[in-house]
Amino acid sequence: MAAPLLDVADLSVRFETDDGPVHAVDKLSFTLAHGEVLGIVGESGCGKSVTCMSLVRLLPETAVISGSVHFDGVDLLALSPRRLRQVRGRQISFVFQEPMTSLNPVIRVGRQIGEVLQKHLNLSGRDARDRTIELLQLVRIPAPEQRLDEYPHQLSGGMRQRVMIAMALACDPKVLIADEPTTALDVTIQASILDLMRDIRERLGTAIVLITHNLGVVADIADRVLVMYAGRKAEEAPVADLYAEPQHPYTIGLLNAIPRPYESEDARRRLREIPGRVPSLRELPTMCAFADRCPRADELSRTNVPELRMVAPNHLVACFHPGPE
Amino acid sequence: MTTVDAPVALPNPRARRRRLLRKRFLRRPMAVAGLIVVVGFVVVAIFAPLLAPYDPGATDFNALLAHPSPEHWLGTDELGRDELSRLIWGARASIQAGVFATVLAMVVAVPIGLVAGYYRGWIDTVIARLTDVLLAFPFLILAVGLAAILGPSLMNATIALGIAAMPGLIRVARGEALALREEDFVPAAVANGANDMTIIFRHILPNMTSTLLVQATLTIPAAIIGEAVLSFLGLGVQPPTPSWGTMLQDAQSYLAQAPRLAVYPGLAIVIAALAFNVLGDGLRDIFDPRTTR
Repeated sequence: MAAPLLDVADLSVRFETDDGPVHAVDKLSFTLAHGEVLGIVGESGCGKSVTCMSLVRLLPETAVISGSVHFDGVDLLALSPRRLRQVRGRQISFVFQEPMTSLNPVIRVGRQIGEVLQKHLNLSGRDARDRTIELLQLVRIPAPEQRLDEYPHQLSGGMRQRVMIAMALACDPKVLIADEPTTALDVTIQASILDLMRDIRERLGTAIVLITHNLGVVADIADRVLVMYAGRKAEEAPVADLYAEPQHPYTIGLLNAIPRPYESEDARRRLREIPGRVPSLRELPTMCAFADRCPRADELSRTNVPELRMVAPNHLVACFHPGPE
Repeated sequence: MTTVDAPVALPNPRARRRRLLRKRFLRRPMAVAGLIVVVGFVVVAIFAPLLAPYDPGATDFNALLAHPSPEHWLGTDELGRDELSRLIWGARASIQAGVFATVLAMVVAVPIGLVAGYYRGWIDTVIARLTDVLLAFPFLILAVGLAAILGPSLMNATIALGIAAMPGLIRVARGEALALREEDFVPAAVANGANDMTIIFRHILPNMTSTLLVQATLTIPAAIIGEAVLSFLGLGVQPPTPSWGTMLQDAQSYLAQAPRLAVYPGLAIVIAALAFNVLGDGLRDIFDPRTTR
């Protein structure tokens, strides 16, 4: 296997708050290959977004990041702010959850995209405009020549998210990080945005990191899935394996919480929620973080932190009692 | 998806917003009146040499303190100079002081406020506390003090007024920047590789233009009154150059014989300042999205 495009090793993120440190991400390692789609799933507050923001140091000053993030052989965490700005938006770009507010309301969308092009690629105003029209076509915005001169408030949520994606793709980045890109949109638009992202991966070969709490979205587009819980990796597997043979009780819990109205009678059962909630991350764990919510928890889970182990090729799980239900 | 791209004639968004603002503006008679007076005032100032019937410095010793007449519509002063002509020329000093002082204050204060509000931390603390100290002095006291240091002339008066207007503007710009830096488009711009200067001047500044425009229309009248005060005190325009402030000063000695000499420049100051204020209020209303009408 070729060297991965992105190699994250032992990434930890700690926030120094007035009430003491919060360990948002704890010794997380993962890789991303060229052109791969990696889904990161988990409940709110389990460190998905923080992980991705920390890759190019988008977090506030209070965040202390350790570990290493190698991108194309360069350690991003050791890069100077200046060099880092050349990576942001050029090599690694972001699509955020809120298309309604992530665009600057007083700047026309064409110029917002054009600015990124002019900054990173030194295009002239005219070339940037032409390229912007191409990009808007790529993200399937009708009548791009006219949309160019509109302000964000004149576009619908779905359109705005397309503009955000166009802006993220402007410089043909190697990695696109999409943080809950469909959460704020209604269902029909969600489907077309996912469709668009799949198309982009195929046409441009962009590697995508998709952060979501929706396993359905992941099943749709990801190659590999990383399940996070309380700032740590709970399970990691190719997408088919994860759905066929989920190992970690947390993953199983997440899968059981998906409605399946179209399946056979016996598959249609009551939706099951996971009791309890994500633990506070104030102290480093001394036991399995999921133990308090887990039906399989025993003495071992309550006294030791489970290490990741390989249960099948490329299938990692951090649990003392792994296995499908 | 791609089948709907028949090029529909979308109305130019900029024109649409402008039309909406114009409609809102026209529904405010006071603001419209303010705008008319302001425009008239600016026109008079620019075309003073053409509009003034007499040379403002020309004395006519056959008509000292003359009453209004067909020759001298507003009468003459103690040296027989035509009041109307002096009033018209006086508008020049006023607008010069009002506009240039405001421009000067904006150019200096807005970047300072932006930097303070965007970076926060010690730089903000230093700037904010200094501003507080300066704000403890009333605007005119500060202007008088500065003008006294700089020496009397219209230019120095304008600079003094500009500096005196800075603390208030710094505070406004800082407040806006503090709020705008928390908007989602800021991290989005950072994620696209924007540096601090790009974020401050390309992303945050354009979002506060309407606030700044309103502030400008409210700073101009303060500077106009300030110019009159400084000239009245002898710290601004120097005689024989006409200015509403110096005219008031001259009129003081003849208050008993010819009170009208004080009334004309006084009225001119009030009307000009009021017009800018009313216009500023109107602009604030139409830019405020919470305005329902």
